[in-house]
Amino acid sequence: MAKKIGIYVCECGANIAEKVDIDQVITAVSPLKDVEVVERHKLLCSEGGKEFLKQSIEEHGLTHLVVAACSPKQHEVTFMSVCEQAGINPQLFQLANIREQCAWVTPDGEEATDKAIRQIRAAFSRVLYHKPLESKEVECNPDVLVIGGGIAGIRASQALAAPDRKVYLVEKAPSLGGKVRSFSKLFTNMESGLTLMEQELKSLQENENIEVLTESKVEQILGFLGNFEVKVRRKAEDKDLDFNVGAVVLATGFELFDPRGLPQYGYGKLDDIYTSLEFEEMNLPGGPTGGKILLKNGKPPESVAIIHCVGREEKDYCSKVCCLYSLKFDRMLKSQIPQIKVSHFYSDLCIPGKAYQKFYEETKELGIEFVRSAKTEVTSNGEGTTISYETEAGSKGKLAVDMVILIPAMESSSDARKFAEMLNLPQDEKGFFAEEHQLLSPVASAVEGIFVVGCAQGPQSISESIVQAEAATGKILSALVPGRKLELEVRTSEISESFCTGCKTCILVCPYGAITFDEAKTISVVNEVLCHGCGNCAAACPSGAVSLKHFTFGQIYQELKEVLR
Amino acid sequence: MNGESEMNNREKNDPVVVIGGGIAGIEASLLLANSGRKVYLVEKTSYIGGNVIKFEEVYPNMDCATCMIAPKQQELLANENIELLTLSQVESVSGSAGDFSVGIKKKARYVDLENCIGCGACYEPCTVEVDNEFEEGLSKRKAIYIPCAGALPNVPVIDTENCLHFKGQICQACQESCVFEAIDFSQQDEELQLKVGAIVIATGFKSFDLSETTQYGYGKLGDVYSAMEAERMCASNGPTEGQILLKNGKPPESVAIIHCVGREEKGYCSSVCCMASLKLSHFFKKKLPEVKITQFYSDLCIPGKANQKFYEEVQESGVDFIRATVTEVSSSGEKLALKYKTEDGQESTLAVDMVILNPALEPGADSSKLAEMLGIPRGKAGFFSEKEPDLTSVATAQDGIFIAGCAQGPKDIAETVAEAEATVGRILSLSK
Repeated sequence: MAKKIGIYVCECGANIAEKVDIDQVITAVSPLKDVEVVERHKLLCSEGGKEFLKQSIEEHGLTHLVVAACSPKQHEVTFMSVCEQAGINPQLFQLANIREQCAWVTPDGEEATDKAIRQIRAAFSRVLYHKPLESKEVECNPDVLVIGGGIAGIRASQALAAPDRKVYLVEKAPSLGGKVRSFSKLFTNMESGLTLMEQELKSLQENENIEVLTESKVEQILGFLGNFEVKVRRKAEDKDLDFNVGAVVLATGFELFDPRGLPQYGYGKLDDIYTSLEFEEMNLPGGPTGGKILLKNGKPPESVAIIHCVGREEKDYCSKVCCLYSLKFDRMLKSQIPQIKVSHFYSDLCIPGKAYQKFYEETKELGIEFVRSAKTEVTSNGEGTTISYETEAGSKGKLAVDMVILIPAMESSSDARKFAEMLNLPQDEKGFFAEEHQLLSPVASAVEGIFVVGCAQGPQSISESIVQAEAATGKILSALVPGRKLELEVRTSEISESFCTGCKTCILVCPYGAITFDEAKTISVVNEVLCHGCGNCAAACPSGAVSLKHFTFGQIYQELKEVLR
Repeated sequence: MNGESEMNNREKNDPVVVIGGGIAGIEASLLLANSGRKVYLVEKTSYIGGNVIKFEEVYPNMDCATCMIAPKQQELLANENIELLTLSQVESVSGSAGDFSVGIKKKARYVDLENCIGCGACYEPCTVEVDNEFEEGLSKRKAIYIPCAGALPNVPVIDTENCLHFKGQICQACQESCVFEAIDFSQQDEELQLKVGAIVIATGFKSFDLSETTQYGYGKLGDVYSAMEAERMCASNGPTEGQILLKNGKPPESVAIIHCVGREEKGYCSSVCCMASLKLSHFFKKKLPEVKITQFYSDLCIPGKANQKFYEEVQESGVDFIRATVTEVSSSGEKLALKYKTEDGQESTLAVDMVILNPALEPGADSSKLAEMLGIPRGKAGFFSEKEPDLTSVATAQDGIFIAGCAQGPKDIAETVAEAEATVGRILSLSK
């Protein structure tokens, strides 16, 4: 079919017309081969302008369209939809930006006019090489896999499950409940974590759209948003379970920094030194002491030291919730042993948010001592332990106590690396799963369809973990609507089988995990469903085997040739 | 059977009203709209973007804030499921979850959103000059104006209080200068009744009013600024185009940043101010490498996995940190004298060129009126109360009404966005 190209120049009111001599532009581009029509318009993006454009395209039976106007950021979509209405494939269109890149930045009128002509010739030259890429859609599975049966995983499962959406909740331990189960009290309401968990589990059991798989391990996840294939190993039954889901929520929680690595705290060597989680367990009614706070010798302690920020320097971040839960410990200690003397050794009190200062002040009124210490050590004094501390100003002090509670930093769970490798999921330098964007997309990961919530993403409180679980729910329910198909990016990259040398450079630079390696053919293969068309691979490929559709080397060459002419 | 499925369908398609067009409102609107819901986004100013667009860069990675949020703003303006109601406020609310009726008063912009291309030709002929609220009063604007470059929609608004035409004088200078016939003095305020299934409150924060403090000389001494004023001074699209200058036109040689201003009065830690103070130090050091910066603080609160690194970088750039309470700022010759008291009771004085006060965050201005209309309790500090304080921050005592972002309490951008997404999770899972 013969090519018929239309070129339309927008005046953008005075914005372009004041600087660029549009008559001269029209004279210059009219003689170009296969140009059927060249027109100017006062404002092409206006309702009237779009109607004019549509009618003109139809009237002249155009096959390709060039618009010279503003930035593609502003109106590329606008003119692509005009193409669609007028019956041209929207990819057979090119927008020359003669406003932001020309009229607004080139002070001299003659130079601006010359530049505009070059830009339009470049667009004309390139559009001839455009391919009519067709948009594709894929079916998607609305079901969700949630990994980790702590509070975040449980809440996410409950919010996601629906008659038309099944949730698989996988937990490696024999029972659900995560860390919260072992908290005898929660801040700030001082209610039992165990009771909360029992309520949660009851409503979970009643939900027929959730399949709970305890004592199970996720062995493999393959695929992409809307279509993941999952293999789960069920330990108790000694068999594998295979199923498909559309999205995955990682809620693998946290572990505590091991204080054994820091000899100054005496942990593991001296008696009556506990980590915060061990202290929580001591307070559980079903725990080793029946919920009583007791020393090794069976007596209740008369004095306790709570040491903050254990491992903070090593981890190099503040674990956010430790100051708050150590205040909770004060209340637990004081309610069981009213005469007990409690001393905190801390550097900075971190109690962010509207509710916690009051909690702190009320706790302090119970008669708790706060010692600001830059350096704290625990040694044995024969009968018990001695805390040696040093203030910021350098003055030193000592305090003998019966019991020490260490507040260690929170770390990402030891499973995190396994999942990171399985899913090609980036971890940040601290070992937590990295967010798609630290601020704007805190629960999505770099891999579309995989979400990271709760302490798997970073240290946070129960309420923040639940909010993140609900946030992942919002993202999933918004993206995977049962019965709706997913529209794919058309400008994806493709790899030439014959040019690919199998060096895997493209796999390293792809931020979306969209390129896999075909071991049989020893070449890289693009998964079009995952590819966002960023072009990293095309730029990095040393053999020129990768090309990005709509930005092929040929198309870019054609464009540059005219700009530099 | 038929009735039931119709009912179900209706609930699934219930529109949602989102109150507040900051980052929380934008995120919630986009997610809801992408799921297929109709969204009314109600914003009282003439633009969307809230407080985030006032920031040149945002911690901890120092991303350019406008670049970060502009694609979201654009996507919102282009989304056919979202009806953006700027210059609008909620006037009444009745009904219950699944069946709310929300009355909106929408003020006229007097500039046509369809015809205007945002070229700005109308500002120049306007003879009125008033303080620009967006720039904390640090620069002037016309009576027809866009608050700052980057405010979207990129369409000006006429401030009828100051516009000569609306004060009864014969002036239509802006109208005459517009070649697109976009300026329309005949536009009228409108009253709308929206039928919606759910409501999201995302009305954000404002800063503690520094005129309530006396000891720091704010409003009396020349070079004492609020953190937001300092932010705008650092912004390349701000009143000084990013130049940090004293009232005498010279760059400061020494600056003190005072944390926790108003914390004692408010009774809570505002969560983000330590990081915001570190960010200001970073800006100042970048622009004025020789400047001496001293931060006065009580406890450093930099929670989470990503913030400590930023603190260390700022510290290494040569910023001093003094743990002390500033008791008085006064004028001392050409400088400002800062009296402070450390924890062990020692008193000292420091002379600096510029003082920046970092105030507590408070709930947005219209919270009390809105809370009353919606029947949502507020805490002592005035923030909207959540239903289960220790479990999730987004659900309220009223079914079908949710809160996101700083309307609920002080928090950072990531937490705000997570809450916005969580409100959507709640709303979309209601109708299953």
